[in-house]
Amino acid sequence: MAINQSSFTPRVLADLSLLFCMLLAPVCLATPATTPAALLQVKSGLTDPGGVLSGWSLEADVCSWHGITCLPGEVGIVTGLNLSGYGLSGMIPPAISGLISIESIDLSSNSLTGPIPPELGVLENLRTLLLFSNSLTGTIPSELGLLKNLKVLRLGDNRLHGEIPPHLGNCSELETLGLAYCQLNGTIPAELGSLKQLQKLALDNNTLTGGIPEQLAGCVSLRFLSVADNMLQGNIPSFIGSFSDLQSLNLANNQFSGEIPAEIGSLSSLTYLNLLGSSLTGAIPAELNRLGQLQVLDLSMNNISGKVSISAAQLKNLKYLVLSGNLLDGAIPEDLCAGGSSSLLENLFLAGNNLEGGIEALLNCGALQSIDVSNNSFTGVIPPDIDRLPGLVNLALHNNSFTGALPRQIGNLSNLEILSLFHNGLTGGIPPEIGRLQKLKLLFLYENQMSGTIPDELTNCTSLEEVDFFGNHFHGPIPERIGNLRNLAVLQLRQNDLSGPIPVSLGECRSLQALALADNRLTGALPDTFGQLAELSVVTLYNNSLEGPLPESLFQLKNLTVINFSHNRFAGSLVPLLGSSSLAVLALTDNSFSGVIPAAVARSRNMVRLQLGGNRLTGVIPAELGNLTRLSMLDLSLNNLSGDIPAELSNCVELTHLKLDGNSLTGTVPAWLGSLRSLGELDLSWNALTGGIPPELGNCLGLLKLSLSDNHLNGSIPPEIGRLTSLNVLNLNKNSLTGAIPPALQQCDKLYELRLSENSLEGPIPPELGQLSELQVILDLSRNRLSGEIPASLGSLVKLERLNLSSNRLDGQIPSSLLQLTSLHRLNLSDNLLSGAVPAGLSSFPAASFVGNELCGAPLPPCGPRSPARRLSGTEVVVIVAGIALVSAVVCVALLYTMLRVWSNWRAVSVSNSDGEESAHGGHGGGGGKWGDGKYWKVGSAVSWSAEQRHSSGSETASVLHDKSTEAAGAGKS
Amino acid sequence: MAARVLAALLALALAVSTAPARASNDEGDALYALRQRLSDPNGVLQSWDPTLVNPCTWFHVTCDQASRVVRLDLGNSNVSGSIGPELGRLVNLRYLELYRNNLDGEIPKELGNLKNLISLDLYANKLTGGIPKSLSKLDSLRFMRLNNNKLTGSIPREFAKLSNLKVIDLSNNDLCGTIPVDGPFSTFPLRSFENNSRLNGPELQGLVPYDFGC
Repeated sequence: MAINQSSFTPRVLADLSLLFCMLLAPVCLATPATTPAALLQVKSGLTDPGGVLSGWSLEADVCSWHGITCLPGEVGIVTGLNLSGYGLSGMIPPAISGLISIESIDLSSNSLTGPIPPELGVLENLRTLLLFSNSLTGTIPSELGLLKNLKVLRLGDNRLHGEIPPHLGNCSELETLGLAYCQLNGTIPAELGSLKQLQKLALDNNTLTGGIPEQLAGCVSLRFLSVADNMLQGNIPSFIGSFSDLQSLNLANNQFSGEIPAEIGSLSSLTYLNLLGSSLTGAIPAELNRLGQLQVLDLSMNNISGKVSISAAQLKNLKYLVLSGNLLDGAIPEDLCAGGSSSLLENLFLAGNNLEGGIEALLNCGALQSIDVSNNSFTGVIPPDIDRLPGLVNLALHNNSFTGALPRQIGNLSNLEILSLFHNGLTGGIPPEIGRLQKLKLLFLYENQMSGTIPDELTNCTSLEEVDFFGNHFHGPIPERIGNLRNLAVLQLRQNDLSGPIPVSLGECRSLQALALADNRLTGALPDTFGQLAELSVVTLYNNSLEGPLPESLFQLKNLTVINFSHNRFAGSLVPLLGSSSLAVLALTDNSFSGVIPAAVARSRNMVRLQLGGNRLTGVIPAELGNLTRLSMLDLSLNNLSGDIPAELSNCVELTHLKLDGNSLTGTVPAWLGSLRSLGELDLSWNALTGGIPPELGNCLGLLKLSLSDNHLNGSIPPEIGRLTSLNVLNLNKNSLTGAIPPALQQCDKLYELRLSENSLEGPIPPELGQLSELQVILDLSRNRLSGEIPASLGSLVKLERLNLSSNRLDGQIPSSLLQLTSLHRLNLSDNLLSGAVPAGLSSFPAASFVGNELCGAPLPPCGPRSPARRLSGTEVVVIVAGIALVSAVVCVALLYTMLRVWSNWRAVSVSNSDGEESAHGGHGGGGGKWGDGKYWKVGSAVSWSAEQRHSSGSETASVLHDKSTEAAGAGKS
Repeated sequence: MAARVLAALLALALAVSTAPARASNDEGDALYALRQRLSDPNGVLQSWDPTLVNPCTWFHVTCDQASRVVRLDLGNSNVSGSIGPELGRLVNLRYLELYRNNLDGEIPKELGNLKNLISLDLYANKLTGGIPKSLSKLDSLRFMRLNNNKLTGSIPREFAKLSNLKVIDLSNNDLCGTIPVDGPFSTFPLRSFENNSRLNGPELQGLVPYDFGC
């Protein structure tokens, strides 16, 4: 009760205020009592750029004023005001309420601002009020509910906010209510259900919430209902089926749920039905096929499932069928179209469902202009009689599993503009008949298995704007007359087997913006005509065999942003590529460019990636590169650069990759590298750098790979390196480093590769290295001056695959803990001062793993009485004890095995699990005699090893680390 | 309404015209799909830019000379989420190091397509479900460490075919059945299988069904 009252209170108040205003009105209007005076007040409130109101003056008869209509036969009784579309601005003056005889006001399509004056509520003769398409603000005045004669109220396309006043339900004559494209919120008022005469209700593009109120069923005259683009929820009410005159129903882009009510099938006058973009579920009701007048049916972007149970044969007037983005499955129904010329269906969108089977059924829909069945699971071929659809403009079959060839009849589709067939399993060639498609703008064949040559006839398709053949097997040349395609903006031929030169005529494609010819077998030089491609922004030619110096005309290309010419044989100067100052990517890796790096590279201040590695560049690294403050990747590796690393590079604070390896750089490793906090990869190896490793490198906390190998660095390894806790790879091989290996390296616990070989490191191997439990690829400490025993902790490196401690001064015995290195497949302990017996579990490694020590036992000669004399007695005792233990173990195992078989027989009938584990141990022990014997090491294929060696980045050769598996393979053969 | 259809067509044209850039490298796409399913509070995947021509300069990704992805190192990176089937497209991968994270969900059977895989390190995560039989197709596999997860079901018998397998660690899971004894399993120590309360020790051919206790 209280709720009821409160909801009525504002209405009562509004009515009262209205009454008050009406009482006051004669007083207010006392002075300008005449209609012309009121109109002049209206005029004075408006800005009239076109001067359409200039004739409004008391000197002329008001009925002759522009935009004014008077009652015929009477004098001065103004019934109409029409100032639509005159660019008027300003506010609607409240004085408009002085036009007491007015029946029609049309101020639509102007630039009016401010609120809708509530005073309009006094104009009781008003039948038409059109204020749409202005910039009106404020709320819709509830006073409009007093306009009992109002038939047409259109306020849409304004900036109105607030709720729809329920009072509008009092406008009992209302036939058209247009409130679309505002910022109205709240719910649809139930009171609108009183509008028995309402024919058109447009509330779309607001932010209305709630459901469609059931009272709306009272709008029995509705012909047009649109509530699209709101936030309405709930089910679509079945009473909609009772609007027997309804012609257009648009509920698109809301949050409706539930199933589509079958009652909609009763709307025999319906021509437009749009339910797209909600969360509707269930199947398409078969009843929809009764909508014989329907021209547009859009159920797309819902969660509708089941079959495409739509028959255009029954929906004889259907032109648009849009079911994309649902969960429909099954095949396209055979009877979708009746065949012959009876079908009117022009546009069929079924994209993004789970549909399967072929598309032959579509050929009966002879009027089709657009077909989009992309992103489904369709199979079969593109029907050769596709030309039964001569009106086809758009054909999108991409992201399916179509097979077979593109039929030559495609050439008969002379209206075709878009042909999108990418990501299918199409084979065969492009039929030459394609050249007949004079209107074709977009041809996407990428990611298929098509082959053959690109037909010359393609160059007759002079409307082509975008061509993408990426990822097929086209071979032969790029058509010589490609330049005929004057409108071409995108040419993507990447990843085919194209050969021959880039045609000279390509320079005629003056609209070309993106050119991708990468991953082919193109040869020859770039034609001089390239310089005409003034629009070119992205050009990728990588992985071809293009050669020679670049034409100087390239310097004219000022719009280039991305150049990737990597992996070709281009030579000569870089200068022709530097005409643009908008370069973001310049990637020329692995070519034969020579000369110096021009300072002009630094003109492109937005450069992000500069990759010049693997060329023949000489001279110094230009200091101007320090201007490239957005640079992320700087790769100058494998050139002949000399001089110091310029200090200006310290400005490139966003660098993530700095690769200067394989040059002849001199000077020191700069301390400022420590300020490059984004650095993930730093490779300065293979240079002639001197001095120490700056402790500041420990500040590059994100560093993943640090390689300073093959330089002349001296001093000790700074313990600060231990701060690089993200580090995966540390390579300091081949320097002149001295001092001890810092135990702090144990903090780098993500290291999977650690190489410190060929230095002059001394002292013991820190036992802390055993903490590096993720070490995997290699631990290489060889060729140093390390002394002391091999720490037993190294046995913790259970993932380690290669261990090289050779050529040091390590002494003592090989710790038996190394037996725990179950992942180890290459071991080199040679050329140390180790003594004693090789632990039995390591005997499967080749002798070369252990030579150059005072070791004995397999694979080395047995430990005789004379060899390692000073430890003979101790070893002997161990051997004897071990022997006894072994014999006992064998006996025990045999016994256990027998017992186990008995037990297992027993267990087959009685389920037990607590002591099963223990017995299992015994069982495994029996079979596990192989553990540690030769058979354990039979693993590893020679093929995979050699492959690994090929990719290994380190300098160590296969002869240094002895590959157990190849040994084993050799032994197997002999 | 004509405008709406036109808009739909325009959307279609846009959809198809943006696709090539994305489709340009399958390994990069597969990795990017992984990035999208992972939650990455430490930002270790920040450098994974799908617009680059290949993923070889992405951090934690290692390529060979031919720009094929051979290593993925996301061990101990505090990532969570599930491993998707997309990783099965990294057919050149040799090392898959996803250990010590918060990965959940199942091990995708598509990992069985990684014919060049040498090391499969998924240990110390929260993986559930069974060990896919398809992993028995990993002919090059030498190291399989799936320990310290929540894996259930039995150890696929087919793993006995993994003739290169040198290290297996399935300990600390919830596996059941028996341990194979054929092929490489003849050499694996029992601690590789410990702490699987329902695992019943080595299979004894002809005596105990292999899924005994499952």
